[in-house]
Amino acid sequence: MPIHDQGYRRYGGWRAPRGQAWSVITRAGVRAMLAKRVFLGLLLIAWGPFLVRAIMTYAAYGAASIPQASYFRPTPETFRGLLGPDGFGGVLIFIITVYVGSGLIANDRRANALQIYLSKPLSRSEYIFGKLAILMTFLLFVTWVPAMVLLVLQIAFAGNFTFFRSNLFLFPAITTYAFIEATVLSFAMLALSSLSKSARYVAVMYAAVIFFTSAVYGVLYAVTRSSSFSWISLSNNLEQVGNIIFRMPAKYDTPWPVSLLVIAVTVAVCGLILERRVRGVEVVA
Amino acid sequence: MNRERVNAPSMFASAARIFELSLGQMLWSRRSVFLGILLGGPVLLAAIVRVVVEMYARGFRINGASVAGPAVFGLIIWLLYIRFIVPILGVFFGTSLIADEVEDKTITYLFTRPIPRSAVLLGKYLAYVVCTVLLVLPSVILVFFLIVPMGGGSIAREFPSLVTDLAMLALGLVAYGAVFALVGTRMKRPLITGLVFAFGWEPAVLLFPGYLRRLTVAYYLQALVKHEMPQDSATSVLLQLFHEVPSVATSLLGLAVIVGLSLWSAGRAVENREYVLEQ
Amino acid sequence: MAPIVAADHLSKWYGQVIGLNDVSVTVPSGVTGLLGPNGAGKSTLMKLITGQLKPSKGSLSVLGEPIWRNPALYFKIGFCPEQDAFYERMTGLEWVTALVRLNGVSETEGVAMARRALETVDLVDAADKKIGAYSKGMRQRIKMAQALAHDPELLILDEPLAGMDPIARRKTIRMIKDLGRAGRSVIVSSHILHEIESMTANILLINQGRIVAEGNVHQIRDLIDEHPHTVYIRADQTRALAREFLTQDDVLSLKFEDEAVVVQTARPDAFYARLTDLAASGELGGIHEVTSPDDNLQAVFQYLVKS
Repeated sequence: MPIHDQGYRRYGGWRAPRGQAWSVITRAGVRAMLAKRVFLGLLLIAWGPFLVRAIMTYAAYGAASIPQASYFRPTPETFRGLLGPDGFGGVLIFIITVYVGSGLIANDRRANALQIYLSKPLSRSEYIFGKLAILMTFLLFVTWVPAMVLLVLQIAFAGNFTFFRSNLFLFPAITTYAFIEATVLSFAMLALSSLSKSARYVAVMYAAVIFFTSAVYGVLYAVTRSSSFSWISLSNNLEQVGNIIFRMPAKYDTPWPVSLLVIAVTVAVCGLILERRVRGVEVVA
Repeated sequence: MNRERVNAPSMFASAARIFELSLGQMLWSRRSVFLGILLGGPVLLAAIVRVVVEMYARGFRINGASVAGPAVFGLIIWLLYIRFIVPILGVFFGTSLIADEVEDKTITYLFTRPIPRSAVLLGKYLAYVVCTVLLVLPSVILVFFLIVPMGGGSIAREFPSLVTDLAMLALGLVAYGAVFALVGTRMKRPLITGLVFAFGWEPAVLLFPGYLRRLTVAYYLQALVKHEMPQDSATSVLLQLFHEVPSVATSLLGLAVIVGLSLWSAGRAVENREYVLEQ
Repeated sequence: MAPIVAADHLSKWYGQVIGLNDVSVTVPSGVTGLLGPNGAGKSTLMKLITGQLKPSKGSLSVLGEPIWRNPALYFKIGFCPEQDAFYERMTGLEWVTALVRLNGVSETEGVAMARRALETVDLVDAADKKIGAYSKGMRQRIKMAQALAHDPELLILDEPLAGMDPIARRKTIRMIKDLGRAGRSVIVSSHILHEIESMTANILLINQGRIVAEGNVHQIRDLIDEHPHTVYIRADQTRALAREFLTQDDVLSLKFEDEAVVVQTARPDAFYARLTDLAASGELGGIHEVTSPDDNLQAVFQYLVKS
């Protein structure tokens, strides 16, 4: 027939293999966040500690003739300090987690978009993973990336690999700790986000979890003068694990396997919450 | 209805009606239930501590020295209520007084009534104060009765200090609520601003010498706390070193000025702002 | 009679986006339909009239007074917004009572007024049910009730029929017409044209932030004399009729459909007169049906909006 059918025709082009739909969600989420100027400003500020360290490193090697300049040389503690959750970097990690993560699932629930998402060839795991990857991308951008860049700068400014060779553990340590931190914070925020339709409520719940557990630990420490209750606070567990990974002395009396276990249990519980809450329909009875 | 005979309700009468409308909404909303659970945390902690002490019957000891219940109660007041619960309740409720109505799209019904918009804010603020006081004060009272008798503490002797603490916490809720109501009406991202103010700006600025600390609620509020400030961290030690305590009168005046200015400014913001609802 | 709404060079923009563009219009008392496609500026105009937004430029007065920051005017205005938002935990009666009490009435009077309003919208049986359990149509009606409860002079209804079943729709349309007859002024916005047509002949057409036309729908139609009028004629001898029509210079085009001829004429009055004579004489066979797809709001609207 010379006259072609103008009706609906099935798409016959290339399709990505199944199981990659999560990347669509991630890309869209990352682009949406990067379109906000305020958020870009926040990311810039989050690189502030790195900038300070980079200048110090430059001064350490650039002004090597001044004896005091050696104080500015980076140590493994420098890289540990960049990764939070304590210090100024920790505050920014908290703000970014709240800014990016509080509405990730809550906004979809508010707009009744979960049904639409899950009616596509997209599994629940892909949806959750896609959302998780958005938050993890930005958290790693302000933790892992600046730490790696600082490591590269150290080598560049020093002009040799001495520091790197004598601290070979740094690269895996930075990577491992950054991923553990990003994973547990992302899971926690995502799980809370799935519990509500209000991003604001989620943000406060997250703040409550972080600060309240720290406050309870503070009370127990002030009363008992023992830091073995540090496992109560998620931030403290991360600090403990971080110090061990960076071969630094443990900050608290809690054995580090306990801290790691608490982190693992937190991730598992959050995973369970997500499994129950991320559904196309709400089960009433 | 004879429209000529009914007068427009006054600002405070309008606020009272909004208060009635909002109180029920706030008290029985899911977030208040959640906060009730949060406020149960200190009570649970106190109960566990009390049970452990009773079971071991050795009293509470720090570094071998016995510690009385009132001291522990003071620690809990400082570390849980003043530094965390009161500010977070202020942030949570205060920033969402109007924002919640905007998000739920019910603000239209209130703003198309013959009442000033600032009356809506005032009414909701009053409902917040009542709601949070009803949540916090019973929690503190329960903790008091659980902890104070330990180690020879006397409830009768410490009761006046409980009353002072309750009044001080209520004042804290009033002050933080007003400040964060202002933040909620003026800022685009009030929650983050509120959290940064409460948990970033205030603890940091209290360490600075000079007048900056007077730009915090904590400076005036903490002066009203009779319990000794805990030394749980280097920051606390530094705070003790630089701790400048204004008089009770100065603190009360300072808090009154903060509340008045914040509510006035928030009212003005609400009167002049256009609220465009999401379609 | 003084206009209920008077806008003079009224503009509203949101950042770079113009919501309303230099609108000067007066809305008379009675029932007025505000028509426009989505994004035309209907909601912006409604929000300006109800004092939720401040004009960026120009002036707007409602019932003779500026509405922005003039809460006293709300004694005389009842607004039924488009959004489906309520205090879900309250019952219908509680909610309407709470809102009407903001007008300064006592608890007893407020309950009485709320009950009357619920009776008007036929929700008395559901008065003590939580709004969260209401159907879509009931939710629309409870919104109407809160707008009516304080007996306002001017009712502003934003898409009041959305989500209603046909019976409720008919009842609401009748209620709006009754309100108009009782001396109330009503401004109803919608994009469903036949509903507006059934409520009022007085319309305000808006598109892309501008008023496209205002007045009686028939007057508007008459004014569009450049637009050819389409007439559908079902007859026995369509070709004979067509031959007759083609001799007249006001006939611009014609086409054949099943047992009918569709004619476009530049002078509908003259054409209808000749057609009547032909039908009466029967010389070109029987003429069974004459309709004009143009003589309704849809055609007017589509024509005006497209141009």
